[in-house]
This record gives sequence, C-alpha cells and structure tokens, in this order.
Amino acid sequence: MNSFGNMAEAVIAGDFETVKKMTQTMIDEQVDPIAIINQGLMAGMNVVGVRFKAGDMFVPEVMMSARAMSTGIELVKPLIADTNMPSAGKVVIGTVKGDLHDIGKKLVVMMLESAGFQVVDLGVDQAPADFVKAVQEHNPHVVGMSALLTTTMLKMKDTVDALKEAGLRDKVKVIVGGAPVNRSFAEQIGADGFASDAATATDLCKTLAQ
Amino acid sequence: MAVGSNHGNGLFFRTLTEVQAQHIHAASSRILEETGMVIHHLEAVELLRQAGAYVEGENHVYFPAWLLEQALRTAPSRVTMYDRMGRPAMYLEGSNTYFGTGSDTLNFLDPFSGERRSWRTEDVAAATRVCDALPNIDFVMSMGLLSDVEKRMINREQYAIMIQNTTKPQVVISEDGDTLRDIIEMAAVAVGGKERLRQKPLLMSYTEPTSPLQHPAESIDKLLVAAEYGMPTNFACGGMAGASVPTTVGGALVQANAEALSGLVIHQLKRPGAPFIYGYGNSPMDMRTMQAVYGTPEAILFQGGLVDLAHFYNLPCWGYAGCCNAKVCDEQAVMESTMFTLMGALQGCNIMHDVFYMEFGLTGSLELLLISNEAIGRARRIQRGIDTDPAHLAVEAIQRVGPGGNFLGDEHTAQYFRENWQPDLSDFNNYENWTLNGSQTMAERAREKLKYLMEHHHPEPVPAEVKEQIERILKAASARLG
Ligand code: B1M
Repeated sequence: MNSFGNMAEAVIAGDFETVKKMTQTMIDEQVDPIAIINQGLMAGMNVVGVRFKAGDMFVPEVMMSARAMSTGIELVKPLIADTNMPSAGKVVIGTVKGDLHDIGKKLVVMMLESAGFQVVDLGVDQAPADFVKAVQEHNPHVVGMSALLTTTMLKMKDTVDALKEAGLRDKVKVIVGGAPVNRSFAEQIGADGFASDAATATDLCKTLAQ
Repeated sequence: MAVGSNHGNGLFFRTLTEVQAQHIHAASSRILEETGMVIHHLEAVELLRQAGAYVEGENHVYFPAWLLEQALRTAPSRVTMYDRMGRPAMYLEGSNTYFGTGSDTLNFLDPFSGERRSWRTEDVAAATRVCDALPNIDFVMSMGLLSDVEKRMINREQYAIMIQNTTKPQVVISEDGDTLRDIIEMAAVAVGGKERLRQKPLLMSYTEPTSPLQHPAESIDKLLVAAEYGMPTNFACGGMAGASVPTTVGGALVQANAEALSGLVIHQLKRPGAPFIYGYGNSPMDMRTMQAVYGTPEAILFQGGLVDLAHFYNLPCWGYAGCCNAKVCDEQAVMESTMFTLMGALQGCNIMHDVFYMEFGLTGSLELLLISNEAIGRARRIQRGIDTDPAHLAVEAIQRVGPGGNFLGDEHTAQYFRENWQPDLSDFNNYENWTLNGSQTMAERAREKLKYLMEHHHPEPVPAEVKEQIERILKAASARLG
C-alpha cells in the first residue's frame, strides 16, 4: 500500500522519472496492473484535481502530474486487455466551423485527459458533419463543442440538429463551452450541459458519462 | 534607428538595450530559418517560394535571413492616418503615441443602469460619439458586438456606425476579405474615392493570426487585401504566454517577433512599400483561472520589448493601453488600465488600442473610457518632459520673487501655469467642497460627464448622399449573404 502512496506522491509532484521507475518495479513484482492505475497513478491524479480546485496547484503543475500519470499508464497498458482499461469515459471534442480559437478547448482536453478520460480532439474549424462522423467512428459518451465567436456559436445548434438527423442524439451527451456561450444558450439549442471552465467541464463529463 | 523612445526635452525610455534587441532578432531569425512557419494560404506560399523561401510540403515555409532584411528595407518607417475630412490625424512614427478603443466586446456595462448586457446599435453609436468628443482618444475601434443585427453583417454594420458617428480614424475588424472589401467601399464613398483613400488612409485593417508559428487563411487573405489597396494594416498575432507562446517574456518576444516578421515578408512581397504596422498581442495566461489576462507586469514589459524591436527595425508599432481584467469599473480597473497607459506612453508605442476593455476584453466600460482619457492626458504631459530653456528655468523670476516672496503674484506664474496639466475628472477640491459637490467618486463624475456628452456632442455628420451609398453597400452585402 505504501508504495502506491509513494507513487501517488510522485504523480502529484509531476516527477515522471520516479513514476516510470516505480511503475516498472511494480510490473516486475507482478502487481495487478489495474491496481497500479487505480490505486497509484489515478489516486495521485485525484488529489491533484482537488488541490487545483482549491487553488493550491497551478495549471502547469497539473499538466506535469498528468504527464507523469501517462508515463506510468503507457507502461502498464500492454498488460491490460483494451476492454478492461480503466477509463472515466470517452469524449470527442472540437472547435466549431469558422472558429480558430483553441486555447480553451486544448485546456479542456488536457484536464479531461488528466482526469482519466479518453479524448479524441478533432481540432479547430469542425463542421457539423465532422462531429457526426467522429461520433459514428468513436462512439463516445460525450461530444463537446467549443466556440469563442458569437457568429460561430450558431454552428453548435447545427451540430445538435445534425446529430439528431443522423439518429445519434440519444446515444451521446452534448456539452458546449467558450466565452460567449452560457447556460441558457446551451438549453436553447438542446445541449445536455454547459461549462464555464475546464475544471467544471471535467466534472460535467464525469456526471454525464456515468 | 537607436532602441528606445525619445520624448520631450530629453525624456527617454527603453526596455531593451540595442544588444538585447540584436539577440532577440537573431533568435527570431533562427526560428524562421530552422523551424519555419505553416502558412495556410496558397498564394502567400507561392509568393514566398518565388522570392526564395524554402517550402517543405504544401505550406511549411522556412525564411532565409536576407528575405527578412529585404522586407525590412521596403517597409515604410512611418504611416500617416487621416480623419474623415482628409486632415492628418496620426503620424505613426518614432515615439509618437496615439490611443483608441478596442473592438467587439460582448457585454456593455451600461453606465446608467449598471447592468452588464449585450450591445445594441444605439449603444455603439452613442459610445462612438463619446469617443469623438474625447480629446485624448485618437482613433476608434468597434467597441461592441451588435446583438441586434444579422450575425454575418456585424462587422459591416459596426463600420457604418463608426464612420457616421465620428470623424476620427478607425481600426477595423473584418471576418474575411469580402467583409473588408465592403468596408473599404464604405470608407471610399465617405472620403471621395478609393484613390483618395489610398492617399489619405482613414482606416487601418486589424489582422490577428493564431500562434504558434502558423498563419490561418483568412488572416493572410486580409493581409493581402490590405497590401493590394495600400491600406495600413497591423499584423498582431494573438498569443497567450504559457499556452501559445513561451511563459518567459524573452521567449514570448522571440516567437512574437518571428511571427510578425513572417507577416511583414508576405505583405511586402505582395506590394513593396505598402504600410505595415508591426506588433503582437500577448495576453499571458493566468495559471490559476486559465484566463487570458491584460496589463500584468509581464504583459507591459513584453510591450516595452516589442516597441524597442520596432524602433530597432524602424517600423511603426501597435500595442495596448487602458485595458484591464476587472468586472466593474473599480480600483483594480483603474490601476491596471492606468499602469498600462502610462507605460505604453513612455514606451513610445505608436498606436495603442483596447482603452475601455474590462474583463479581458469581454466587457466594455464607458466610465473607464473617460477615466482613461484623463490618464492619457496626464501621461501626455509627462511625455513632454522638463523644458530647460531660460524662460522655463526661470532664473529671473526666482530673482524677482527673492527670499520669502511668493510666485503666485509673479507674471511668470501667470504666463506659464497653463502649460501644466489641468484636471478634468480628477477632484482637487478640499473635503468640504467635495462634499458640497455631492461627495462623488471619480466613476460617478465620469457618468455625469458621459450623460452630458451623450446629450450635447454632435459629431460632424456625413453628407446625405454618402449615407445613402453606405446604406446601399450594406443592403447589397446583406442580399449577397442571403
Ligand atoms: C466542450 O465543452 C467545453 C467546455 C468549456 C469550454 C469549452 C468547451 N471551450 C472553452 N471552455 C471553457 O474552458 C476554458 C478553460 O477554462 C475557457 O476557454 P476560453 O477560450 O474562454 O479561455 C481560454 C483559456 C483563454 N482565452 C482565450 O484563449 C481567448 C482570449 C481572447 C483574447 C482571444 C484570442 C487569444 C484570440 N483571438 Co479572438 N480572442 C478573444 C478573447 C477574449 C477573451 N478574453 O476571451 C475573442 C474571443 N476574440 C474575438 C475576435 C473578434 C476575434 N478573435 C480572433 C482571433 C484570435 C486569435 C487567433 C488572435 C487568438 C486565439 C488563439 C487561439 N489559438 O485560440 C479573430 C477570429 C479568428 C477566428 N476565425 O476564429 C477575431 C474575429 C479578431 C480578428 N478579426 O482577427 C472576440 C470575440 C467576440 C465574439 N464573441 O464574437 C473576443 C471576445 C475578443 C474581443 N473582445 O474582441 C472556457 O470558456
């Protein structure tokens, strides 16, 4: 147990060298790979999430912790069958057509990944049809759209409609975000949720992916 | 040109030494030569290829040093902007400084209801008229995003409002090249034709590509349209330190400079000598809230470095002033915006925008605009420095007044006191008189003055036939967009 605790501490410290070494040692000692993830790596990351929200950690430190966690996960991944791989859920995300703002969306992606989500990032300037295609291909729990321009926000509704038309709307939760977007707009276009920042977006996905 | 800003009477300010500027130039040149830029625009890539840049794949361009130097030789060192009447209004050169608003805030902080709400056409028109009245606001941008017009028409409608509610020069946002063409049409009818507009530019196009190390198609489109019309344009890539440019001020400068120079090269290849305003927009990312923040000490230092690079290259420079992160016009708003304004003035940044921005550009406040107008006035006085000619050294006056005398009754005071800065919104009353005047805070006085200006200031109108032509251009665009 103590070694799981140390591993979590190394994740929190963002010390990927140590995380790598500890993970390898545990693998060599035939520790259950799923336990390595859940009790060591993810346990550390959960603490990071709490500390970040409390304002005790800053974004770049969270990113280092997330990288440390993935270093460990990369090592144990080959030992776990795909279907057993612990994941908080799958999210497809992109910035809508006509919009090139992606800093906020990238942060959402990084936060989701650090919370254990599998994320497919489509990039910027994505048309409704691109979202539909990605949902068909990846079968995610949640599809997320980001827009920073008042003009491009409207594309979010088009995407929701396109998902309906393709018969996919019941199979996936839709969330939206970006500076001009708000809760009432999300409701108006028939999305399932809105988040004002990356940390809230992660919590929202946790709820929706259950 | 030497690095640093020369103001009045020997007042001098610089952020970088010449050697530091040289180091940054070398580092940016390395980035352009070794890492290159991805340019999502076929015509621009072709221009670059033919000029001797190295192109990998479809659009990854590597810039040899001589290509940068060639562009730096053809770009003009000064750009004059004119008002709607064709009078010179801004000489963008050397250490001259000019101030204006920002564009496209989502929310209007209604000065009279205190409400944070969306902008309507009449709000933007009223705000623009206020700018027209303020002596220290030299140019305008659109200020508010119109919530009451068709979305694809926003930029065009904003322009129609600007040109009809002020004679001051404008910096314009356009969604794409097509929008920009319509805006140029409107400007041309107001000043008497395209040729005249080229000769006496009333507007500057605002171009803001995405970092890191790439230029999107529509930014390059607009850059080329501006070059084609010989209309001044900036090329201020927008980055967030810690996200799309390095978190260190030096690193941010290296990348910003590389991106700006790559834009300059494309622009000068399209039309050598076309007016280009060097610059970059860097809002550092706050690592707790992930917001793009304005006017932090690092953002201000960054601008100082950028202006010195512009001086080093002998190019006019674009920047920021008078903007903040506060949500209402409070102490933080005034502290952040005033610090930026004074520093920008000392840095000698030629054209500074975003005066009146609150909440990192999401909200606009007219109280802050008025307070900034006053802060700019103070800064401008500081820029004039200390006059040391015999009249100002006042030896004779000192001798006249002598030990134990008083300058108040001396003619020297009567003759020169008006050169000193005079408050307008700032209150210099004693406590009793301040109470008699209603114990107002500065923001309250600003609101009072706003009300007065909104009721009493009438900008020079555009002639009826120009108004009709503008309507016609708007209608045609609206029909085209369906
Ligand atoms: C799926 O679920 C979710 C859930 C939550 C989600 C989410 C998705 N997506 C975001 N979130 C949320 O979580 C994130 C992290 O906490 C947050 O993301 P944000 O993106 O809000 O926050 C980021 C972490 C930091 N914020 C940002 O990155 C945006 C900052 C500001 C200053 C900004 C920037 C940096 C840029 N810009 Co532009 N830009 C502005 C912005 C003003 C502002 N303060 O918002 C804004 C958005 N821009 C604006 C404009 C007008 C433009 N910009 C443009 C360009 C750019 C840059 C390229 C220079 C650059 C973007 C670089 C990039 N790679 O993204 C142009 C458009 C280009 C295009 N087609 O997209 C251009 C049109 C200007 C021009 N003519 O060149 C204004 C938009 C007005 C409007 N709403 O229509 C603007 C408000 C500034 C202004 N007042 O003028 C949350 O919103």
